[in-house]
Amino acid sequence: MSYLKIFYYLFARPLWRERLRTTLVIATVALGVAVVLAIEMAGEAAAGSFRSSVETLAGSADFEVTATGGVSPQVLTRLALLPQALKLRPRLEDYATIAASNRVVPLIGVDMLADAAANQDNAGAGEFQNDGSIWVGKDAGFTVGDKARLVVNDQANDYTVRGIIDSAGEAIVMDLAPVTRLLRRAGQLDRILIDVPTPGDQWQAILQKALPEGVTLAPQGSHTAENRRMLAAFRWNLRVLSYIALLVGAFLIYNTISVSVVRRREEIGIVRALGATRFAVLFAFLLEAACFGLIGGLAGVLLGRLMATGSVRLVATTVESLYVSSTPAPIALTAAISLTGIAIGILVSVVSALAPALEASRVVPVEAMARGRRDHEVRMQQGRDLAFSVALAIGAWFASQQPAIGGKPLFGYLAALLLIGASALAIPALVSVLSKATSNAVGRLLGVEALLASRSLAGSLRRTAVLVGALSTAIAMLSAVGIMVGSFRQTVLLWMEDRLQADLYLRPTGPAGADRHPTLSPAVLASLAALPEVAEVDPFRAYEISYGGLPATLGAGDARISGRYGQRPFHSGAHPGDVFARLIGHDNVIVSEPFANKHNVKAGDTLELPLGQRPVRFQVLDIYGDYSNERGYIIMDRGTLLKYLPDPAPSNMAVYLKPGTDLQTGRRAVEKALGSHKAIVFTNRSLREEAIVVFDRTFAITYALEAIAVFVAVMGVAGALLALVIDRRREFGLLRFLGGSVGQIRRIIIFEAGLLGIFANIAGVILGYALSLLLIYVINRQSFGWTIEFHWPVTVLLSALSIVYAATLLAALYPSQVAAKLVPIEVIHEH
Amino acid sequence: MNTSIAAVLLIAAELYRSALPGYRYDFPRDHFNHPEFQTEWWYYTGNLHDAQGRKFGFELTFFRQGVVRSKQPPDVWDVRDVWLAHLALSDLDGGKFLHAQRLNRSGAGLAGASFDQVRVWNGNWSVLWDLHAGTQRLQAVDRRFSLDFSMRSLKPPVIHGSNGVSQKAAGPGQASHYVSLTRIETKGSIMLGGRTFFVEGLAWMDHEIFTHQLAAGQTGWDWFSLQFDDGTELMLYRFRRENGTLDPFSAGTYIDKAGKTTNLTASQFAVVPGKMWQKYPIEWTVRVPSLGIDAQLTTRLPNQELDDSQQNRYWEGAIEVSGTRRGVGYLEMTGYAAPVPSVIKGDR
Repeated sequence: MSYLKIFYYLFARPLWRERLRTTLVIATVALGVAVVLAIEMAGEAAAGSFRSSVETLAGSADFEVTATGGVSPQVLTRLALLPQALKLRPRLEDYATIAASNRVVPLIGVDMLADAAANQDNAGAGEFQNDGSIWVGKDAGFTVGDKARLVVNDQANDYTVRGIIDSAGEAIVMDLAPVTRLLRRAGQLDRILIDVPTPGDQWQAILQKALPEGVTLAPQGSHTAENRRMLAAFRWNLRVLSYIALLVGAFLIYNTISVSVVRRREEIGIVRALGATRFAVLFAFLLEAACFGLIGGLAGVLLGRLMATGSVRLVATTVESLYVSSTPAPIALTAAISLTGIAIGILVSVVSALAPALEASRVVPVEAMARGRRDHEVRMQQGRDLAFSVALAIGAWFASQQPAIGGKPLFGYLAALLLIGASALAIPALVSVLSKATSNAVGRLLGVEALLASRSLAGSLRRTAVLVGALSTAIAMLSAVGIMVGSFRQTVLLWMEDRLQADLYLRPTGPAGADRHPTLSPAVLASLAALPEVAEVDPFRAYEISYGGLPATLGAGDARISGRYGQRPFHSGAHPGDVFARLIGHDNVIVSEPFANKHNVKAGDTLELPLGQRPVRFQVLDIYGDYSNERGYIIMDRGTLLKYLPDPAPSNMAVYLKPGTDLQTGRRAVEKALGSHKAIVFTNRSLREEAIVVFDRTFAITYALEAIAVFVAVMGVAGALLALVIDRRREFGLLRFLGGSVGQIRRIIIFEAGLLGIFANIAGVILGYALSLLLIYVINRQSFGWTIEFHWPVTVLLSALSIVYAATLLAALYPSQVAAKLVPIEVIHEH
Repeated sequence: MNTSIAAVLLIAAELYRSALPGYRYDFPRDHFNHPEFQTEWWYYTGNLHDAQGRKFGFELTFFRQGVVRSKQPPDVWDVRDVWLAHLALSDLDGGKFLHAQRLNRSGAGLAGASFDQVRVWNGNWSVLWDLHAGTQRLQAVDRRFSLDFSMRSLKPPVIHGSNGVSQKAAGPGQASHYVSLTRIETKGSIMLGGRTFFVEGLAWMDHEIFTHQLAAGQTGWDWFSLQFDDGTELMLYRFRRENGTLDPFSAGTYIDKAGKTTNLTASQFAVVPGKMWQKYPIEWTVRVPSLGIDAQLTTRLPNQELDDSQQNRYWEGAIEVSGTRRGVGYLEMTGYAAPVPSVIKGDR
């Protein structure tokens, strides 16, 4: 008997007969693959192919020269006078908000005189050094002659678009001279790009010799590479989240194939009796799974491309608020990604089908007629499974104690997988114990339909257990992520309570971000401090720096004020007043927790930071909790910072009103004192609210992924219940003959779904709690380094679980309809 | 209104000075910068050869074009002057003409001309003087070639025209202050295609200072610098007019062996174009009857056209002189392929 014939009799025919279920399985594979691919593509576009948006117009250079606080003009001169045929491109890089569209775009200052590529219109010096002249990229949405109002730092100015630069993306381009005035720089450059005439290893040394000590020479795009490194951990976790839907899908494929093995025992027996080998049967079942995988994978690729469009914005939002300003690249559905998707589809299907297919291959021809034996075996093995389950749980505990590998919490993920395995193995026992313990009570309370439903679930344990497993895994993931995010949110709220002590906060209207620090005019600081309503003004200045090959934020505030108002103790337990006092007048710093974790820095360590033209050594006094961004902070006293980088413009300010001053009065006075400077004034409360809005936006993508996983699971429940109905049609027919009404049959199915949902919720919440501990204390700590205090997000969890439960019941509606429509006389006489 | 724009407008823009008769030269100071004039250039050209007789021509020109003049000190990136430089190497026997150009602002010393620093430079293209020794060092680096020459002028500076000005058109100020070093002994090296050629020969330096020297009707000029083997030199220029006639302000200077100069007016010489390469006549006959000069100018390399894809397109190349006097020289032809930039002309 040829394999193809076996395939036809065993599968092609039954598959067509059960096309709805077939469709559901394929849809499950497709959705799982689609989510993985969508996240892969969206992640690649928003984070992976991350190219800092200030790379606009940078083209490809060999090296870049940067320095904290800017590269002095003399450095450019030194390079320009070297007897080497270098091509040098000095740049200023910042951001502007286009007032009309509120869109944030890169603002790039270039040497329009020397750089013919940037000055493609050949504009004269009289034109390009005019403060009102801008050039724009093709995607900025302007045409030549347009007027544009731009907000930069705390100023809004009007400009005329003088020309379009093809390669400038959506950037605004100005010459060095006007942009230096606009950004209040003292001639300092952000970056010098260098092209060398010939490839070779000698250049680093040649160029380095011409540069002062505090200036960094690196291959071009080092900043981009650093950001990519920083985003790698984020992408990893996002990727792992995206596999949840696939994992849930695997449960369902396993379930479907198991069901079909059970249902086709007779056919298997017959083909075996006719001479098919075990291997042929195994091969046939795996081929069926591979076909599911192939078709589902193909559909998943297309669906994934669609979903990527939707998710790229969400991913980009997270990247933007936590890490770095970036413009998502176009989504690229490459051949490699498509093939990966199809391969994942086939692999997951075949692996999920392996166990049932092996079981099918072991069917002995004579055994084919004997029904029910398999379920008995499942019960018999419960003891063994429980033992395995405990072993896996212990394994999970050990894995959770291991450190990260290369910054990735690989053992954390392993622990999560082991826990899911442990839970899957424990579920049959749970279901049988729970349904036995409760069936009588359920029957008494809810009537005979509920009793029958409960007994039936316990009876068809094998299939029920897999269903509960799939649904509970989805619920567990949902709860775990829900608990983690909820705890995180609560932690941040408490932290803000301690951290935000001032009455008013100001920052420039110009575009801000995790890596963007627009500044306020120093004049604002003086005029606010002079107000009679104001007790203290704490100016905070932030710079983006590179530390240990990763981006970090260097900041400085008035340590005297921070010491007076600080509430939250440092990690060592020291009181803020004592630590801040030791910052003043010394080259001492404190670092944020994410920074300390990322760079393995402890109190007492020394950091060497390139400031201005030279490297300076700082002692780390202590570590403080911080949740404002993932890049990590190094904080010093303002006096210390100004000693090395003498630019007094603050990035933001905290204003403490005099006791007894009315908040609104104080706010009005501050707004009036701003004059023409454009700044956003937050009250303490509105700042917290804004922070939480950003927080929620940041985690939107995780919720979306969870929702899809749950959707897959609920869809699986619908499919499985349908299979159950079709399997038990004779039983239902019999019940009808025994006087059962259509309504009662329908209720049995719904009760079964309801019980299934309850079991899955119970198992899911237990597993979810365990997983949330892993997420909070292992995976989050190792990937991001945040301390999250555990909190039960009761409302969120209850509402999410209720929605899942309702969805499970809804999923039972169609199968119950099918069961109700069965004609008793027909089903009884089948076979 | 944008406050910064107002600030720029508040800069007290001053007028540039014109080249007027009576200018008193002061050397070596006058070899360097004159920011009170709008345009200034330093032209170095020369004919060199290595020990095997392989011939090269070179040109290194520094231009300064004033954009705005003010007593207020500029911010470091402000463009008060545009510094343009052209570099060309004529590999006369290798049949190659290589040229490059660059534009810079003064920045923190990116380009300039400074008596204090005794140098004229644009990035790493520079001429550094040693006033004590009376020598200059010319260095220029390009991706494809580089020059490094030691130069010593064999004659004192030649001041063209009369009473300190070289009149280029009718009207006061349509003139330049024009100085040349007509015989500069040059030794050094040329790196080209991975090879170093040790060369020597003669260079010529022109330094011209003005504010809008040409008149509207002048469409271009032909300029000749000839260094004869007998130790004399001849500089001639003629202006072509829109109506096809020659401009009466065409002129020249003859420098005898001792450095004594003789001014030549348009009627005293004739230059007759001959064979063409593209739009340029690359062979000429030069006659100065009063000096008994009847010379043929030819070049080994027809294509010595510079095009900096900005506004400037001209032919500037090494030539050989035969006839009643023999020697080498440089020929410059402007306004054939593209109009002369308006800043040089008097479109005021």
